[in-house]
Parts: sequence; structure tokens; C-alpha cells
Amino acid sequence: MPDAVVQIQDVSKRFRIYHERNTTLKQSLVARRRGRYEEFWAVRDVSVDIPEGESLGIIGENGSGKSTLLKCVAGILVQDKGTIDVKGRLASLLEVGAGFHPDFTGRENVFLNGAILGLPRRYIKSIMDTIVEFAELEQFIDNPVKTYSSGMYTRLGFAIAVNLDPDILVVDEVLAVGDEAFQRRCMERINIMRTEGRTLVFVSHALESVRAVCDRCVWMDHGVARLVGGVDAVIAAYLSEVNRREEEELEVVETAEVDSSPGRNGVSITGVDLSGPDGPTVVLNTGEPLTISIAYESPKPLLGARFSVTFLRGDGVPILTVPTDDLQTGDVALPRQGVVHLALPGIPFLEGFYRVTVDITEISSGQHYKRLERVRPFRVHSADHREVGMALLGHSWELPQVSDRIRR
Amino acid sequence: MASTELLPERSLQQRPRAPQAGPLAGRIELLLELVRRDIKTRYRGSVLGVGWTLLNPLIFMLVYSLVFGKFLKVQYPGGSATVFILSGLLAWTFFSQALIMATNSIVANSQLVRKVAFPWMLLSVSSVIAALVNFAISLLLLIPFMLLSHKGVGPPILAVPLLVGITFALSLGLGLMLAAGNVYLRDLSYLVNLGTLIWFYVTPVIYPLALVQSKFSGHGLEGEAAHAAIYANPMTWVVLGFQDVFVFDRWPQHWHGLGYSAVVSLVSIWLGLRVFRRLRRRFAEEV
Repeated sequence: MPDAVVQIQDVSKRFRIYHERNTTLKQSLVARRRGRYEEFWAVRDVSVDIPEGESLGIIGENGSGKSTLLKCVAGILVQDKGTIDVKGRLASLLEVGAGFHPDFTGRENVFLNGAILGLPRRYIKSIMDTIVEFAELEQFIDNPVKTYSSGMYTRLGFAIAVNLDPDILVVDEVLAVGDEAFQRRCMERINIMRTEGRTLVFVSHALESVRAVCDRCVWMDHGVARLVGGVDAVIAAYLSEVNRREEEELEVVETAEVDSSPGRNGVSITGVDLSGPDGPTVVLNTGEPLTISIAYESPKPLLGARFSVTFLRGDGVPILTVPTDDLQTGDVALPRQGVVHLALPGIPFLEGFYRVTVDITEISSGQHYKRLERVRPFRVHSADHREVGMALLGHSWELPQVSDRIRR
Repeated sequence: MASTELLPERSLQQRPRAPQAGPLAGRIELLLELVRRDIKTRYRGSVLGVGWTLLNPLIFMLVYSLVFGKFLKVQYPGGSATVFILSGLLAWTFFSQALIMATNSIVANSQLVRKVAFPWMLLSVSSVIAALVNFAISLLLLIPFMLLSHKGVGPPILAVPLLVGITFALSLGLGLMLAAGNVYLRDLSYLVNLGTLIWFYVTPVIYPLALVQSKFSGHGLEGEAAHAAIYANPMTWVVLGFQDVFVFDRWPQHWHGLGYSAVVSLVSIWLGLRVFRRLRRRFAEEV
């Protein structure tokens, strides 16, 4: 194994969260100190070695300590415990417009950033054109950067970071900005740097980008490095944990009682339950059977009532409403207490969150006996499906006569 | 998006690497870049530009010599109120500018400090150097006035680098402490503005030291206090040195005082470095 160019050993970083901050003298004198604060460990006992030429991804939820760890590696924050050893020239690109002076022109900022990386001015001059061209800022490079758009900021920042020839490049979530074409060029450039044996530390929410550029990955969870390993394994573990947490939250909702207070004419819905192929569930795969059971109670036999179920997407857009009209329920009297089942042989919904709205309506007046809106959220996975969108429709493709198979 | 499989073999082929300046050369390079930036920022968008560096002390000098020399009839040794006031004023302006700029150097560059790691101390150093450059330019002002008063300068001008060195060290040392403290307590920059204003009057720039000796010595507690403050002020001896060189064309007369100033400035550098190093750990969070 090549030597580690970045050695992170038992690093912890503590932040102060001020309740009332005393940054003026008067407050300080009155409070006799710099305000009340609580301490909170943003990063706890993280150890990772990054060998030369490796691309390390850092993933995790918001507030998990990814960026804090990255800033410690970049030397911007100083850890409270542990050591970080960095061998070689490190360039960091943190957020938009890293380290620019707004009143200075793009060109002047390039010189400044180069000097910060320890490059001679002569050398920066020699690669100035390359940087300007990469950033597509030919017409603007001599304007103050405060007149730049956020996309221009990012382009210049990235162009500087990759062209000033760092041994170690530290990138935080910057590729999210900028247009698609520029993002693609950035990824290409990052890949070229990898083939040159540069070391990369990459923080991103875009798991696909992480998968595309990283060899190994750290999963940060509440400040702790939960898992370090091959990028695919770590991302898979992370995703399954994210799903598990979501589903845990759903379980709580599942067991919750629905609002069973009586509505019009004393009719009430006492339960709405989802069951999949293996009984009650909140998580299903596309194509699996789903049964929705609606339990109701009524003081008198239920006459001329229509049941209906509406499926809504997570954001509230209704996808499908299924009423009991086919059953001619207008002509029958239902018992005072009972359960109505709606069975879908295979749910057509694709990856995402869904909810149901359930109601019982008096057909003659069109008025609701009782309506429960947006209850029973459930999750649908469609890992096996290539289709994208809300719902799956039956389909088939037909190709023209295939003349030959291309060998790849 | 390119997938991992499409990558060329990881051959570790090397592109010609950028030349890396040595650690010291690199810092000097960066320092020059920061100084260049400090000076440019100062004059950006102003019509007169560097002219202000000359105009500012010139106008103050004219006002002071009018008020103190003409109206209040203060007797300046050496005869010329203008050269006397100007020589002290330039030294003082260097010191106070350096101190004020250094105090704000970290906070004013919060954009940089939050996002990039480099020896942030260089920001403070560069603001003192920028003040030094302005001072060097402002020395040109002395030429016409010295010609007018038929004074030349001889070998004593060789003492100027020493005087400048003491002023530089003193303002840098204090500036480092204040710059670091200012990150945590923003009042410091206001206090420094006020402080330098008062400090100015405790420095014999617009009055000769002899005046203080005759007026205050033995004149009760307040007189003694003012007297002591002027003597304890390290800038007093630097300003007197400038007056010796430019007004009287002689070597500085108060070597004890200058020795004291040199010791104070070295102590302030030592303290400044210690305080700055201690406080820099949380700059990026607090700035």
C-alpha cells in the first residue's frame, strides 16, 4: 500500500453553540464572559488514512460532520483532539466562491489563490490562459468577481483548484452548482487527476457522483465514522440505513390510531390498514399486491353509501381515486359495523412515498359521512424497474429488424 | 457520467508538475501578493489614488501649524513649525495606520479565512507592510519643505531605518494581538480608533517635548501623570528621533529612550505572536 498522504487519527472537533452571543464589549462586561454556550462534538474520534492517489468520498446526512471533517483536513478548522498529517500541496474548494476577494478581478484572485498554494507568480502567469478558458470567463476575467453570477464563481473556483496543480484536492459539494456541461467537464477533469495519481477527498450528497469518482468511502453518522470501506459497499450500507430509518418512522405512523370520531349521521371510520403479501406493512415493492382495509361503524345500517380511496404522491398530488360505484352500493344496506377491503393485485407506483385519502359518502346527497385525508403513508421501492415517474403502465417496445449485435 | 469501468488504467502517469516554491520563498511570494492587494484595495475607485497618501498628512500638517504655530504661538525648536510637525506626523501616521489596518486584517478578510487555510498571520503582516509603503511614499512630502527651510540631511538619515524598524515591530506586535482579539470581540476595532486618537496627544508630534517639561513637571498630580505617560510612550522616542534627523540634521539624542522603545517593541512582537497563535485555532468558526 502506498504511503498515506493524509493521515487522520482520532480526530474530534467541538463547536460552541452560543445562546446569547456577547460580541460587544458592553455585553461582555455585563456577562463577565463571552456568552453562554453549549458544546457539541461535530466530529468524534475519526481515523482514516488516505494513501497517495486514492479518491475518498465522505457521505452522510446533513449535520453528520462531513464538512467539518473536510475543513479540518483542509486546515481551516483546527481539531480539538487527534492529529491530521497532510503531505503535499493541498487545494480546497469549499462551497461557492471559496477564498475570493469580491472587489478584485478574476485575474487578481487567481494570482492570490496561486500564491496561497505556494506557486511562483511566473508559473501562475503561464497557466492563466488555461484557467480562464476552463472557467469560460474570457470576457469577464478582468471584472471584479462581485459582479459574477454564482455559476461563474464556481467555475472560476474549480478552474483554479484543478489547474493550480495540487497534490491533494479537497472538494465539498460544489459540483451541485453550475450547468450540466460544466459539471461533466469537472468530472472528467477529476478523473484525469485520478489517473495522474492525485489524491482526492470528495464530499457530496450526490451518491452517484461519489460512486463515479471514489475508490473508498467514509460514512459519517452523527460525527462518527460509521463505516469506512469500498465505495459500493459503504453506499449500499448507507442507503439501507436511510431506508430503515424512514421505515422506522413510518412504523410509528402505522400503529397510530386514525381519527375515529363520528362524522355525519354518526358514521365513523375506525381503522385503515394496509397489508402486503406478508401481512400488515408500510413498505412495498412495485408490482406487489396491496390490500386496504377500511373498518367503519354506524348507529344505523349504512344505506346508499359509497366508499372511495384516493392514492396521493408524497407531495400531495392525487394519482388515482377508486370508488365503490361498480358495486352498486346505492341499492344495499350495509351492517352497522364492518370492514371494506380494496385489493390491488399489483401496485403500479414507482419509487417514493405515498398516502391514501379514505372517505364514505352518501350517494343521494353527495355529502361525506366521514373523510380521512392523507393517512397511512407508505413507501414503495422499485429497484428492479428502469421506468421513471409516478406509476407503471403496461407497455411493450418493438424494434426494427436487428441486423447485427454490436460486440462491446 | 463516466463510470469507473471506463477509466483508463491507473498508470500514475505524471503531468509536468508545477514548480513549488520553498516554504519561505512561498510565504514571501504570498506576502507580496497580499501587500499588492492591500495597496490596490486602498486606492481602488478613488480619483486621486496615491495622492491621498500625500494630501492627508499635508493638510493635517497645515492645520496644525496654523493653529499651534500661528494662533497659539507655540515655539518650535529649529524654527520651522512645518518641518517639525511634518516629520513627527509622518512617523505617527505610519504607526497608527499600521495599527488600525492590522487590527482589522483578519475580520476584513473573513471571506478568505473561512474558506482557505494559509498562515493567516500574513494578513496582519501585509497590512503593516502596506502602511510602511504608504509611509515611504509620504516621506516625499518632506523634500519641498526641507528645501524651503534651507535644511539638508546628512549622515544622520541613516538612523531612519532603525526608527522605522522600531515603529514596524511595535505596530506589528500590537496589531497581531488586536487582530486576533478583534475576531472574538469586535469592539476592539472601535477601541483602537479611539485609543490611537488619544495616544496621538501623548506623543510629542504637535508640541515639542521641551514644552511639556517646562509646563507639566512639578505641576501637581495631573501634570506628573501626563509627563509620565509621554515618557512611557515608546512612540515618543521614535518621533523625537525623526525630529532630530529631519529638523536638526543630527543623530537621535535620546538613545536611552530609543533603547526602551526597542525593548518594548520586541516584547510586543513576542507577545503578539503568542497571542495570535493561541487564538487562531477558532478563527474560521468565529470570524
